[in-house]
This record gives sequence, C-alpha cells and structure tokens, in this order.
Amino acid sequence: MGRALTSRTQQQLLVGIAALVLLGAGFLPLVLAALELPLAGVQGLAHARAALAAPATWTLLVRSLALAASVTGLALALGVPLAALLAKTDVGGRQAAFLVHAFPMFLPPFLLALGWFHLLGRRGLLGTEATSRLLFSFAGVVLVLALAFTPVVTSLVALALRGIDPSLEEAARIVAGPRRVVTRILLPLAWPAAALSALVVFALAFSELGVPMFLRVRSYPAAVFARLGGVEYAPGEAFGLVVPLLAVALGLLGCERWLAARRSFPVLGPRQRGTVPLPLGAWKGPAGAIVWALAAVSVLPIAGLALRASAGGFAGVPAWIGASLTNSIVCAGVAATIIAALGLIVGHALARGRRGAHLLDAAGVLAFVTPAAVLGVGLISLWNRPATRVVYGSLAIIIIGDVARYGVVGVRTMAGAVAQGPVEHEQLAAVVGAGFARRLFRIVVPLHRLGLASAWLLAFIFCLRDLETAVLFYPPGREPLPVRIFTLEANGPESVVAALAVVQVALTAIIVAAGATLLRRAQRA
Amino acid sequence: MTPVVCLEDVWLELGATPVLSGLSLALEPGEVLALLGPSGAGKTTVVRLILGFIAPERGSVRLNGAVASADGRVLRLPEERNLAVVLQELALWPHLTVAGNLAFGLEARGVPRAVREARIADMTRRVGLAGKESRRPAQLSGGERQRVAIARALVLDPQAVLFDEPLTNLDVSLRGELLVLVRGLIKERGVSALYVTHEPREAAALGHRIAVLEQGRIVQVGTIDELSARPATSFVRVVVDELATGVPPPRRSG
Repeated sequence: MGRALTSRTQQQLLVGIAALVLLGAGFLPLVLAALELPLAGVQGLAHARAALAAPATWTLLVRSLALAASVTGLALALGVPLAALLAKTDVGGRQAAFLVHAFPMFLPPFLLALGWFHLLGRRGLLGTEATSRLLFSFAGVVLVLALAFTPVVTSLVALALRGIDPSLEEAARIVAGPRRVVTRILLPLAWPAAALSALVVFALAFSELGVPMFLRVRSYPAAVFARLGGVEYAPGEAFGLVVPLLAVALGLLGCERWLAARRSFPVLGPRQRGTVPLPLGAWKGPAGAIVWALAAVSVLPIAGLALRASAGGFAGVPAWIGASLTNSIVCAGVAATIIAALGLIVGHALARGRRGAHLLDAAGVLAFVTPAAVLGVGLISLWNRPATRVVYGSLAIIIIGDVARYGVVGVRTMAGAVAQGPVEHEQLAAVVGAGFARRLFRIVVPLHRLGLASAWLLAFIFCLRDLETAVLFYPPGREPLPVRIFTLEANGPESVVAALAVVQVALTAIIVAAGATLLRRAQRA
Repeated sequence: MTPVVCLEDVWLELGATPVLSGLSLALEPGEVLALLGPSGAGKTTVVRLILGFIAPERGSVRLNGAVASADGRVLRLPEERNLAVVLQELALWPHLTVAGNLAFGLEARGVPRAVREARIADMTRRVGLAGKESRRPAQLSGGERQRVAIARALVLDPQAVLFDEPLTNLDVSLRGELLVLVRGLIKERGVSALYVTHEPREAAALGHRIAVLEQGRIVQVGTIDELSARPATSFVRVVVDELATGVPPPRRSG
C-alpha cells in the first residue's frame, strides 16, 4: 500500500505544483481583476459606474468587436484557400511560400504596422496622401492585423488538412476531381481547425494594443491601458471597463470549450504517410502567382523596416537598445522553460484524460483569450504591494505575465504530442512497476522530446513577440525589446526605431530557423 | 490453493454496450490458462482489467486472494501488481536499447545493478539476442522484437504473465518458433500465465486448460479432452473440430 501512496502522491504532487503555478500566474490575477470593482470603494465604484454608463464606452466596445470580427473574416477568407493550396496541391514552391507567408506571425503586429507606415505613410516609399489616410483608419488596422494573423489560419488549417487520414482523400479522388475533393471532403473535415483558428485570431485581434494605438484608431483595450498608465490615468474607471472584457473572454472560452468537445487532438498534428498532391492542371500557374503574391505581401512591411533602418539607423542601435535585448531573451527563455515544464505535466494529464486537467486547460485558455489589459490589471493588483516589491520591480513580473498569458501554448502542444503517441508504452512501464515520476521522466519525456522542444520553442517565440502584456507593468529599465520599440516610436529617431525593429526581426528569424533545423534533425535521427 | 488471478462475477459496460457480463475466471499457480474467444468477445478487456487499467463496474479482481479492483475502483495500481504483459502491439520503448527495455522494470522494482545485469544477460542469451543488447528496437527484425517483448516480461519473474495475442499477424514458421520459445520459458520459470488468443491451435499448444469467452462471459473451461467431450456452444464445437487436426495438449509442469 506504501508504494500505492508513493505513485499516487508523486502524480498528485507534480500535477498540484503545476496547477499552483498555472492558476497562480494566470487565473488568480483574473479573479482579482474581476474583484477590483466591488473592492474599489465608494469613489472607485462611482468612477466605474460613470465609465460604464457612458454611451461612448459601449460604442467603443462594439467598434473593437467589429474590428476583431472584420480581421477574423478577412484572415479566414485569405488563410483557408491558401492552406488548401499549400497543403494539398502541386502549386510551385509550396514549402518556401509557406515559410515566407508564416514568418510575420512570429513578430509583434505593431512592428508590421511600423513597416507598413514606412511603405505607405505620407513619407513612405510607396506612400501618398491616400495610402496614408487608408493606413491610419479603421480599415487600415483591419488590413494590417488581417495580414499579420492570416498565417495563424493558414498554419492550423494546413496542419489539419495534412492530418486527415489519407484513405479518406484517396477514396474521394477515385470518384471526384481535385476541386470537389478539396471543397467537399478535405475542408469540411478540417473545419474544427478553421473554427479554432478563427477563435485565436479573434482573441488576438480583440486584445491587440500596439497596432490601433500606433495607427491612431481608438480601441477598447487601448482605453483600459490609457486609464492604467497613460495620459487618462483613472484606475477606478479601468476596473469598470475590465468587466465587459471579462464577459467577452468568457464567451470566447465557451466557444473554445464547445469546439474542443468536437475536435480530437490528433487532428492537430502531422501524420507519417502523405498523399500525392492534387494536380491543378492549367490553374497551377495562376494559383502559384496568387500564393507567392500573398507570401510577398506578408513580408513586405519587413522590407519597409529594413529600408528605413538602412538610412543610418543601425549606427544608433547600440546607444538606444539598452538592456532590452537581454531582457527579452532572459524573460522569454525562463518563461518558455517554465511553460514547457507546465506543458509536460498538465498536457500529459490532459491527453490522458486525468480528472481536473480540463479545468486547468480551461484556466489557461481563459488567460490567453482574455485581453492582456485585464490580465495586467490583475497582475498589478496581485504583485504591486510592498511585500512583493522584489518581484514587481524585476524581470520576474514579466516572466510571470508571460507564463500567465502563454502557459496554454505549452499545455496544448504537449497534449497534442502525447495524444498522438501510443499509451501502451506508459502502461507497460506501469505494469513493470514504474511509478508516475519514473514513467514521466524516463518514458514520456524521451518519447516526446520533440513535442517538448516544440512547446519550448513556441512558448519562447510567443514570449519574445509579446508587447501588450509586458507594456502594462514593465519595471523601469527592464523593458523587453518590443516594449522598447513601442515606447521609442513616439519620440525616438525614426531610422533607429526601424533598426531596432529589424533587430527584433533578425532575432526571431535566427530562433525560428535554428529551432526548425534542430527539430528536423532530431526528427530524422 | 489460492488462485494467482481471480475474476469474480465481473460486469462491465462501455457506453451502453455490455462488454463483460458476470465473467468469472481463475488462474491457478503454475498454470497456463488459454483464454480463447472470437474477435469482440472481450478478451483484451479482461487483460486490461487484470492489469488494473480499468475497473469492473460490479464484481472483483483478486490477486493471490487480495482484492485489487472491485465495484468501479482500482485499489492496486498497475505498477503494484507484480504482473507482466506481452501485447500484440509489443510497445517496445523505441528510445531504449534491448538491455534498456529489459532493465527498466528491474530498476523500477529496485533490483540491484549486479543482479539486474546478470538477469538481463541470462535472458537475452535464452531468447537468442545475446550480442544485440545495445541495439534499439528499430534496428531489430520483427521476430527479434517479439523476443525482446517476451524477454522484457519474463525477466521480471512476475507472479503472472499475460499474453494478449502476441503472435497474431506473424507468419506460420515464426509463430511456431516463438510458441516453442514461450512454452519453454514458461515451463522453466514455473510462472503462471494467461494466454489470450483467438487461435484454437495456439490455445491448445500452450494452455493446460482453455477458457472459452463468448459475448463477455466464459461459456466453458476445461482441458481439450473435456471440451471435446461436451462442447457447450456451437463456437466450442467449431474449436474442437479445428483441433481435431491433432495438436497434443501440453503436460502440466511441477
């Protein structure tokens, strides 16, 4: 019986620690953010009530929801056909086109807006009065964000299309042409992935702070941000404004849970056996042109940044970059390690259907889909106290914010990896007497080391590109690179700001390329 | 004598489908019991129940007389049951070598290193894998992988070994070769074994007794002679007819 306790205790202990970290970092701040309003006192409540009673508040909320919905619609319209072309047809240079198209997904969208500004702004390379007016408008924000987030749709749908059992496609190809196979068989099978990608894009677009602020378009999260630390400082109003955001986040969580019940994890991963690409025939040329044009448009703003930076900007980088590059790498590295560890334990529990794992997963999803402004309010409320000054005044608070917001990335990546592997390896280890910890570290970790490495890499990239979480509470002098660029944009030298953005692009490119190469090598080995 | 494994009036449903309906079964010490049944009869479910991966909704699973699972609860975890299993899928750990696969369970049970190494060396030699201890499963042939799976189970000296259709999908000559190996190893070690199969000849070649499973219940248990004398169902009659080709039943060891 002693051994029974040992194995169970190991499991309870490890899952318990992971739950404490995940809930403590992400869920508790959300609860505190929700409680700020009732605890705000008479004056605070009066401010909040005034903010919520103002028709402008609700107009702004509807405007932000419309913005997110427009971005999602456009990203789906572009991303789904692109995914079908890239994943399933013989269009030329598919792999390279996908890489070019997907890369901007790993950058803060604000950087892409900056790039578009250097191209289409009044003094931009291709800029006119009309392009500038378009860029600095609601439609401009929609276009910039849609181009930034379309790769999310393309990637998830392409992965799902490749994950479909080849026999289903082959059976269809015996009786139907490529167009019918794609539209009637493959895309309907991949709809859960398309719906999930729509949800992710909506949440990201709704939460986006940098692009609307830079392009001078008012948005709801930006209004909360302005009341927390900006020119319109009024924390009481911010607590009130947080309430509708929480309601939207809970709605998104509800949609995600509904989708999750209809989707199996394995559909999110690549399978071993492929199929022969569908021949496009006479359409191959035009389809190739469309694919490459979209891929080129995706990276065009990076070219804009590089061009602007080349006008003497790089010389100023050492003087202006400060410690922000180191801060970025340290925060992303530590946070990604914690997220991967959480992913291993909670993701494994989720994939194996352990009790309570779905609640932990839901808490992680909620922290991801909730606009960062809400999480920021909660984290400030939790950590901005004399007793926790050491945490709040150091990089630790940024790491906590990253773990809170992106913890679910590790959980989902590992859950997908574990769910695709056979359960028998672990069961056999249990039969021969291995306790939970031994099974986890001697069987699950080595077997799923690629999944674990992918979880770390994804988490690292998400943390590296984060602006909207860290910008709310970064300690003075401890800002990561995207925050540094965002704050310098208003009054720093334009070419230097562009050069700093190029540094962020280069760093991301190096990490993505190195990670992808290592993963591919490990996969081959 | 107390049975090594005993299932008493076990009931189990998956969804609304009854899988086991009042199943009772006992594996005596030193015995090889063949569990024979057609596809979908519930054979693998019985194995998973004994191993502790699932619990019976009603009824109990006893190991050496002690209740291990009962009435919807697993009381002893799989790792505490001192059992071993050879699965149809083999499930060799691909990242471990042959020796590593064999050592894993011994390490988990705290067997000292010197003893462990001696037992692994003895077992790899016995199954014809001497010199291949440092290879990984991907570097072995299909037959060699089967041998590793069998060796991995028996090196533990468990109180009982379960074989869940381990020879299905093998060619005839390899199946015969491995049957001889399994029979020899079980006899040498005097270990109790439950051999699950849908092949009457495999059941007859290995089992001291044969338990016939149909639609989630044991319809008959006995030696081949007993089954032949009074087949309880039409399926048992088919089995007996197939065995009339003349495969001799094994003698009980010890």
